[in-house]
Amino acid sequence: MLGKLALAGIKNRRRDYLVLLAGLTMSAAIFYMFANLATNQAFLKANAAVSSANVIFGFGAVLLILITVVYIMYANSFLLSMRQHDYGLFMMLGATRKRVGELVFLETLILGTVATAIGIALGLLMSKFLVGFLLNMLGLHLSHLTAFYLPAIIATAVLYVGLFILASLFNLVKLTRTTVLKLLHSDELANQPKVKPFRQLVQGILGIVFLGIGYWALAAIKALQLLAIPVALVTITIGTYLLFRATILMVIRALRHTSWAKKHLNGFLLGQLNFRVHNYTRVLTIVSLLFAMALGAITVGSGYHRQLPMMAQKVGTYTVAVHNPTARQHKLIGQLHVAYQATYTQKRQGKTVYYNAAELQKQPVELRSYTNSGNLNDQKLYTESLQKFKKSGTNDLDFLSLALGKVGAYTPKILSAKQFTQQSGKVVTVTTIRVKNLQQDLVPLKKLNQLETARYSQPGSMTVGNYQNYEMMLAFFGGLEFIGYFLGIAFLAMLASCLMFKILSGAPGDKRHYRMLYKVGVRQSLMRHGIAKEIGILFLIPGIMGVIDVLFGLQMFKPLMAAPMSPYLGIGSTFLIFIGLYAIYYLITLALYWRIVLPQAPND
Amino acid sequence: MTTNTVVSVSGLEKTYGKANERQYTALKGLDFTVDAGEFVGIMGASGSGKTTLLNMLSTLDTPTKGDVVVNGHDVTKMRGNQLADFRAQEVGFIFQDFNLLESLTAEENIGLPLALKGTPSKVMDQAIHEVAETLSIADLLQKYPAELSGGQQQRVAAARAIVHHPAILMGDEPTGALDSTSARELLDLLTTINTQQQMSVLLVTHDPFSASFCQRILFIKDGQIGSELRRGSQDRSAFYQGILNELGTFNE
Ligand SMILES: Nc1ncnc2c1ncn2[C@@H]1O[C@H](COP(=O)(O)OP(=O)(O)OP(=O)(O)O)[C@@H](O)[C@H]1O
Ligand SMILES: [Mg+2]
Repeated sequence: MLGKLALAGIKNRRRDYLVLLAGLTMSAAIFYMFANLATNQAFLKANAAVSSANVIFGFGAVLLILITVVYIMYANSFLLSMRQHDYGLFMMLGATRKRVGELVFLETLILGTVATAIGIALGLLMSKFLVGFLLNMLGLHLSHLTAFYLPAIIATAVLYVGLFILASLFNLVKLTRTTVLKLLHSDELANQPKVKPFRQLVQGILGIVFLGIGYWALAAIKALQLLAIPVALVTITIGTYLLFRATILMVIRALRHTSWAKKHLNGFLLGQLNFRVHNYTRVLTIVSLLFAMALGAITVGSGYHRQLPMMAQKVGTYTVAVHNPTARQHKLIGQLHVAYQATYTQKRQGKTVYYNAAELQKQPVELRSYTNSGNLNDQKLYTESLQKFKKSGTNDLDFLSLALGKVGAYTPKILSAKQFTQQSGKVVTVTTIRVKNLQQDLVPLKKLNQLETARYSQPGSMTVGNYQNYEMMLAFFGGLEFIGYFLGIAFLAMLASCLMFKILSGAPGDKRHYRMLYKVGVRQSLMRHGIAKEIGILFLIPGIMGVIDVLFGLQMFKPLMAAPMSPYLGIGSTFLIFIGLYAIYYLITLALYWRIVLPQAPND
Repeated sequence: MTTNTVVSVSGLEKTYGKANERQYTALKGLDFTVDAGEFVGIMGASGSGKTTLLNMLSTLDTPTKGDVVVNGHDVTKMRGNQLADFRAQEVGFIFQDFNLLESLTAEENIGLPLALKGTPSKVMDQAIHEVAETLSIADLLQKYPAELSGGQQQRVAAARAIVHHPAILMGDEPTGALDSTSARELLDLLTTINTQQQMSVLLVTHDPFSASFCQRILFIKDGQIGSELRRGSQDRSAFYQGILNELGTFNE
């Protein structure tokens, strides 16, 4: 009987359950995808050329587990907030606590298990398609990446089901300990937070001090090594929490006494925030951290993505060198945005390669000036007269690389046009091309290079042209780039659901408030705006804090992204895209909230 | 319409349920008027349609048929924002369950209708303190609803209902959740407001004691006005007796 009643209760709120289930499913799916990457030894061995990638993966896994724990806590409190009224009612009607306890336990566990199962299935699909898509977009190839990996499935299942068992036990204890009356009136209880100026001042100062320590630790990663990360994580968390606690309430209190607060729904907005921010402090802290980590990860990922080609372009002179171009290669060359192009005829004989002075006169070879400063930006391209080039330029590594044999480079010799025609040897033409922007031409360059390396083998340790340089760097840093993007997206998805559950769990109580406002004659549009502002502020606070965290946190990547790369280069567009995603998330939450709380006018 | 009529209802019908569903007609053609400054009670058995009627008058719900004119506005013709503005400016409400916003102090709750109009904050403070004096809740203004007793909350609700000087004050069982002392205080207050500010009051109740504070009572039975009782020059206890008698015959 009671089971039937409970089922009926769930049916009534199936939309809320769907939101909850969807969120949990997503979380499990993301966790599986990550576990799949982080635990797949073959994949790690093949790709983690950079030793820090291993550390980053391990670290990411720990973070993700922590976040998952918090996330399930919030999802569970959302579940509890939906159900406690019903359970209170059952108890009032005479159901024993034991019986109700069993129901709570079962309900939580069933929901959790279903979410985990669907989540793993979804995770498998996402691993197969989404990860592939992401890699494709980034132009990366990671070997040994499989969608199905049993240890990852087991890890996900154990973690999630384990957490849900804990959550069920927690609910069981909580429901059987609270009084029936409290359960029945749970959403009406309103305790106003008290403001104690001295204590808040101390909290505020401590908060700033902790944040300072955290930011310093990130900047000092060279000295602190890996210790910097846990130190920063702990101090920034505590600092943010204290700062929020100390300042937000004070600001709201101060605003409440202004005449602005007495216009339209402003007073109500402040009242709501005042009432909420206190028990939102924790979630806002966590969300601001998640925001920072997501944004930071994506910024680093896109930093590598954008800056690797740039970096590659700063080394060497030409982008590609094509020997005896075929028709297909000619076509591909036509697609490039050429900055400098030259074609030379070679005659190879013995260990020597002969060049025609007339050709070199007409199309001088570009050289790079290497300065002692070590800053690649100072190194300019230039050309010099044939005389000079004959003396020193022929030793240029890039020039030598134009004629590579099985054993190494041929020794170049420059002959006058007359001598050159008489010289015997195997004739090869070579076209060197420097493109304006490597990033822009990656697709044709890739094909061009494939065709070239298929026709002419070169010693494994050598690269010809900076496109090959770029490919080598990609193999090296590509893993980092991918992890950056992946973690960023995972954190963003988690963050968004955390905030959403927290906000939505306040919606049932708000429904009454807006019904009252409706009766008193508040325009629908005014209520909409009021809600938009309120939720907007709850999104904005962690957003601002998160951006500040990232701006400081990027210091951490300075050692990994040596000049001319910089973790701060071009972050504007990354920030914009990320903030755009965050805004979309805000709009979804807002739309859901509107649908739940806004009273329907009778004639529409 | 004449200037001294605040509410005029003619041929009012309300049918619940859509055309293809099971329908229930709660109001079956009501006609009555309320004059400016009048204190009118509406009585009837449970389920007779009192709340339904009040919802029509206050535009919380729309009638199926008929006309409702309140203070010169034909409410059946209004839409969207007009309806909200009408509720905010022309009507004051007191509900059985107080309907105070618990995140706002008593003062902020009372000021809400003025804030909606965009009243300057100085004028607002003055108006709030005036009604607070009238309703003797001046010392409760800084408290939150959770810190007030039921009777105090209802007085705050009454203050919010009249602070913007609406054309008519409506109450749906406002004494329903109060003990007899608090109920009596509130009814006295309503009478004071009615006589001092010449504000019309429409009070829905099934309690004869509450009804005895009115000048005229409409009895609703099966969705129609069954009978009407005027107090005239009787004192309150005589009128109370009269109501009891009327209920006795009315309910048979
Ligand atoms: N939203 C609705 N849908 C369908 N029927 C309704 C609805 N609201 C009220 N009714 C019906 O209309 C009739 C009148 O209801 P109303 O709430 O007006 O009664 P009332 O006189 O206020 O009763 P009470 O004294 O118990 O408050 C009742 O039979 C009720 O079942
Ligand atoms: Mg009623």
